[in-house]
Amino acid sequence: MICFASFRTHACSWLLAALGCVCGASQAAVVRISVSDAAGSPLPQAVVLLESASTKLSVKPMPTVEVSQLKRQFRPQVTLLTVGTPVVFSNFDTVRHHVYSFSPAKTFELKLYAGVPNQPVVFDKPGVSIVGCNIHDQMAAWIVVADTPLHGLSDAQGQVRIDTVAAGNYRMWVWHPGLPALTDGVVSSLTVGQVDLNQPVQLDALAVPTASKP
Amino acid sequence: MNALRQLIHNSLRARIVAVFLGLLLVVQLAGFTAIRASLSSHAQSELPQRLGVGDRVLQSLLAQRAQKLTEGARLLSTDYGFREAIHSNDRDTIVSVLENHGQRIGATRVALYSADLALRASTGEPLDSVDALARRLWITASAAGTPADSPPSEIALLDGQPYQFVMAPVRAPVVVGWVLMGFAIDAQLATDMQSLAAAQLTLLSRSSTQAHWRVQLSSLPPRQASDLALSAWAAQPAQPGMTTVSVNHEEIGTHAQWLSGSSAAGAGVVAVTSLSVDEATQLPHDLQWALLAITLLSCAAFAVGSAFTANRVTRPLQRLAAAADRLGSGDYDTPMGIDSQGDEVGQLAHAFERMRVNVAGQKDEILKLAYWDSLTGLPNRAQFRDALRAAVAAAQEAGPVHASVAVLMLDLDRFKQVNDVLGYRFGDLVLAAVGERLSQHAVRGADLIARMGGDKFAILLHSGDGELAHTVAERIGKAFDVPLTLEEHTIDMGASIGIACWPQHAADADVLLSRAEIAMYATKRHGGGVLLYDPTLDASSSKTLSLLTELRAAISDAQLRLYLQPKLALDTAKVVGAEALVRWQHPQRGLVPPLQFIPFAEKTGFIRQLTLWVFEEAARHWQMLMGEGLLITLSVNLSTRDLLDPELPQKFQALLTQHDVPAEALCLEITESAIMDDPQRAQATLERLHAMGFSLSIDDFGTGYSSLAYLKKLPVDELKIDQSFVKNMETDGDDAKIVRSTVELAHNLGLSVVAEGVENEAVWELLRELGCDQAQGYHMGRPMPADAFYEWSVGWQAGRLPGNINPSLRLH
Repeated sequence: MICFASFRTHACSWLLAALGCVCGASQAAVVRISVSDAAGSPLPQAVVLLESASTKLSVKPMPTVEVSQLKRQFRPQVTLLTVGTPVVFSNFDTVRHHVYSFSPAKTFELKLYAGVPNQPVVFDKPGVSIVGCNIHDQMAAWIVVADTPLHGLSDAQGQVRIDTVAAGNYRMWVWHPGLPALTDGVVSSLTVGQVDLNQPVQLDALAVPTASKP
Repeated sequence: MNALRQLIHNSLRARIVAVFLGLLLVVQLAGFTAIRASLSSHAQSELPQRLGVGDRVLQSLLAQRAQKLTEGARLLSTDYGFREAIHSNDRDTIVSVLENHGQRIGATRVALYSADLALRASTGEPLDSVDALARRLWITASAAGTPADSPPSEIALLDGQPYQFVMAPVRAPVVVGWVLMGFAIDAQLATDMQSLAAAQLTLLSRSSTQAHWRVQLSSLPPRQASDLALSAWAAQPAQPGMTTVSVNHEEIGTHAQWLSGSSAAGAGVVAVTSLSVDEATQLPHDLQWALLAITLLSCAAFAVGSAFTANRVTRPLQRLAAAADRLGSGDYDTPMGIDSQGDEVGQLAHAFERMRVNVAGQKDEILKLAYWDSLTGLPNRAQFRDALRAAVAAAQEAGPVHASVAVLMLDLDRFKQVNDVLGYRFGDLVLAAVGERLSQHAVRGADLIARMGGDKFAILLHSGDGELAHTVAERIGKAFDVPLTLEEHTIDMGASIGIACWPQHAADADVLLSRAEIAMYATKRHGGGVLLYDPTLDASSSKTLSLLTELRAAISDAQLRLYLQPKLALDTAKVVGAEALVRWQHPQRGLVPPLQFIPFAEKTGFIRQLTLWVFEEAARHWQMLMGEGLLITLSVNLSTRDLLDPELPQKFQALLTQHDVPAEALCLEITESAIMDDPQRAQATLERLHAMGFSLSIDDFGTGYSSLAYLKKLPVDELKIDQSFVKNMETDGDDAKIVRSTVELAHNLGLSVVAEGVENEAVWELLRELGCDQAQGYHMGRPMPADAFYEWSVGWQAGRLPGNINPSLRLH
């Protein structure tokens, strides 16, 4: 997370540099990213962010996202949302859950509750939050808060489609929960032109870890 | 000690008991030693195994602790408050929550690490060693394949105190960090060890190879623990197997293992499990007492038992020894008195008894042999002598008036001929028959007939004087008139009987016997019959026995005198020689006639000394006479004994040389009988003497047994006609004829002849006419002392003695 913060200043400079190119073109391309793991298999639930100087300005909160708890699991496991998006942690289980996160991106706790909490939790800082349940050790979810509208979550085929990407230089940040615990996402630069772009990315990530594994 | 040795030396029983007890003690000792050795070796082999068990128990205990502690740590790390606290960025808060939660489960050192093992916070000072330890634990914990029920743990020294460290992940909800918890190892571990493995545990630590080992905790007594830390083994702890260490005078077996650190590093914590070797090898107390009790009891039992057994041997032996003593002292009649045991001792006793009976029987046998003659069944000489002694003693007591004892000695006539003709076997039969006949005829009452040996019998008459004895003897003699018929032979036996009576003839039993014998021999010589003893019969009376001693003294005391009787030549009437004769001047008896000692000397052999004496004296006197101008031949008589003496010539030669006398000066006279006793030997001696130069003369010619054949051969020079023929020859015509024949015979053989016993002039004349060469006799001269001879010869030469040539003057 600390890296992320410092990266943002870098991203600003990048954005500024790229802005000139983009302003010149003001065309929108479709960027397709296919994420695969170290073995080359498609990697679902990978987060891809494209950041530039201007993306920060154009980011808007999404409508309320629901991260539900059903059968003692968070659904979805990986959620991608933008800064300021409120999240409702609906408990569809018969048992109560005590949802918490100690992540610096969002430290919160919803003490033992059932049903839908009154207040959604607003994620107002970019970063990755690991969410767990205090009384169910095996429950774990990741909430990635992006501060760029250009984001995507890879599907089962590991494909990410980002539309309306203006041409320019972007900083691409790829992340998956299977990355080793404290490592930040993989950062690379991406130049988007007028045309659509297909970009493969390889992540040295395992499958999504379950909380019970160390 | 000496007394004991004496006792064992002298007593078989003590020896047996001592041997048994000794053996028992040896056996007990051997058993005891074997038990001890076995226990010791067993303990020695067992101890390492037990230590191994102790080690495994220690490992198990440590693992259990690790598991417990890890569980505790894990549980603690899931505490929400804990998780929340450590997500605050306040270090102090984190440290305090670490402390707090650590205390909950007794962890005195807690450290928090991030997911990548960077130290975030810890109670106490951060230490590189602890970080390294945490890294190691993390690696083990993260590795796949680690079983969940043996979580890793490590032991490390922290501030000189051993800690057991465990790691637990902090999940929120995934692993966001690791918490390291350290629990001090306390004495509980040692207590658990003791109760589970019955072994002692000592934890030693040192910070470097040079530092000393420090005792962290120990279930050993403090002295022993500190000794263990200081002792020599510490240079190389953690040897495989058991190391025996001596601590505080006690042997303990130890096995050490590094709990943290290594022998390479030389520093760390070592756990020493130990067991007492001494305890393990010591004989259990009650066993010792039991063995001692057994030993004492069995010693007592053995002593009693062996003494009893020994008794069963020694007591019979003692009795047998006593019996043997009895037998030794001649008591053959007392039986052994053995109780019949069938064993070896009993056999010995029975053998003794048989021996006793046998010896008693043999004694009887011997007695019988000693006192009875086996051939005739009569008492023998020994018994007769004993009976005679007893009779004499009884008679002495009773006195000669009332008692008398007579002994008859009987000799069978011509018994030798019976043996020679009919054989010894027949002779024995004769003896037996004689014995029987005697028994039939002789005795009454206690009178005894005995066989004295050979063909001699004796009869003891208890009361009877000479007359009665004589009667009995004659009766017996008559009994022998009846011939004996045995095995188809009929023989006439006669008996010569000699009688001696007590007290007339002797007072002593043995003397009585010998006198009866003398009487018997005397009558036997004269043809048999009965003869009573007479002292005159006795040639060997004490009187004559002493004579020999006196004779010997006679020579040494110079009691003998040399007498010379002149020999005249008949034709010239000159003195031509002299016969040397010996006379004895006895201090008490006066002049002892030769007849009284010469025959005795001949019988005893003393004649040789006499002859030598006479020879020497004759030689000496010949010298003297020669010195005085009288040259004659001296004649010396030789006896049979002299002739048979092979050294006689040497002896004569020595004397001749000694006195410087030629052999020709002497003439040796020998009787016919003397020569005929052993003609060959006599001849040999005479030849030698003749060769030496002596003249030899036959004395008493005509009276003895002579062989003219020998006479022819002998180197004789002269004959001497015996006086019995010469004395009466002028009246007895036969004598004269014999003399004449002898003279002629001698001359024909070339011998000169001397006539002895000329007692008157008439005989002298007759002899002269017959041509006899020499004469010797009382008419001319009697034997006279040798010193007086010369004077006499002078007188004779001077025309004979004054008075006349007429022989009617007798020179007596």
